[in-house]
Amino acid sequence: MHRYVLVVVCALLALAGLASAQNTTLLTVAIGPEAALSVTTSTTPLATTSTTFGNPFTGTTTMNYLIRTSKSNGTGTITVQITADFSGAGGPSVGNPPSTGDALIYTCAVSAPGTPCSGTQTAATKTATAVGSFGAGASSTKAGNAASVAWSLTDDPAYAVGTYAATATFTISAA
Amino acid sequence: MAVSWGKPWVVWLALGALPVGGTIGTGSQSLSATVYPVGSITVPASAALTTSATKFQPFTGSVTLSYRARTSPGGGGNVTLSVTSDFAPPGGPSVAAGALAYTCSGSTLGTACSGAQTASTTLQTPVLALPAAACTGGGGACSGQNPNSVNLSFILADDPGYATGVYSARVTFTISAT
Repeated sequence: MHRYVLVVVCALLALAGLASAQNTTLLTVAIGPEAALSVTTSTTPLATTSTTFGNPFTGTTTMNYLIRTSKSNGTGTITVQITADFSGAGGPSVGNPPSTGDALIYTCAVSAPGTPCSGTQTAATKTATAVGSFGAGASSTKAGNAASVAWSLTDDPAYAVGTYAATATFTISAA
Repeated sequence: MAVSWGKPWVVWLALGALPVGGTIGTGSQSLSATVYPVGSITVPASAALTTSATKFQPFTGSVTLSYRARTSPGGGGNVTLSVTSDFAPPGGPSVAAGALAYTCSGSTLGTACSGAQTASTTLQTPVLALPAAACTGGGGACSGQNPNSVNLSFILADDPGYATGVYSARVTFTISAT
């Protein structure tokens, strides 16, 4: 009899010592296609070592991109457009070059999972031109992946001496 | 033994009452209640984590926990969180990989967790600490609110490596009181 009483008392003490309860919630997240791009060289000087018009002005713009495209039928692109032509009269111009054949051209480097543009592209003020492309299920690293554009601007004797600046706008998209 | 029906008071006593004009007895009974530590908790059935307009910023979402608690003078208690089912299906975020964190604020009883806590699938991580002799509602020495509440803000990393899709994880909250 005393043994049973002891068991009951112990049980009551156990109940008195700790009470706990639980409840749950379901966290839900919808993860969609996403892309971001950061140009790491905010100003890209175009320079030439030639003093005899033998070489164009060249320079390289580097960037870091993050991307996630849809698993099925996903796509992505990086493009560039000259949104502000070279300033100042008498200098180079992307939209209205002073001489036939003058151009701002570029080649592309885009690390995997991107595919760089093919060959040499001609920059334009009225349209965005290709830098790179992505397929379905593409994803960059968390820190981002590298891409770059190597510019080449014709050195036309018609250009007046001076310093000229243009703005190239890069756009990345994912679907 | 034969009952003598010739004595009416015996009948009335047997029926449990006395006739008007009879003697009324009084007595007292000692009542005692043992009040134990208790805790209960209520949370929304689901919560959505959403992204901001800025790309690759964390997904965020908040949950308000409602709870009632009573702790003993020498005791205390706590509310903890554990992810009892990681994000599914595969290919998305993983709590086990440390992708989910949270902060606590606005506790109306007890002390909310400090700083960002990393949620775990194997550990119970802190949400709230309840002091000794704490109680919900009633005013006085108890909290004036009933139920009490605390806000949790979840932060889920947005990794480009996550495949597109919808993912869900089950979070279990536990309240304990002593």
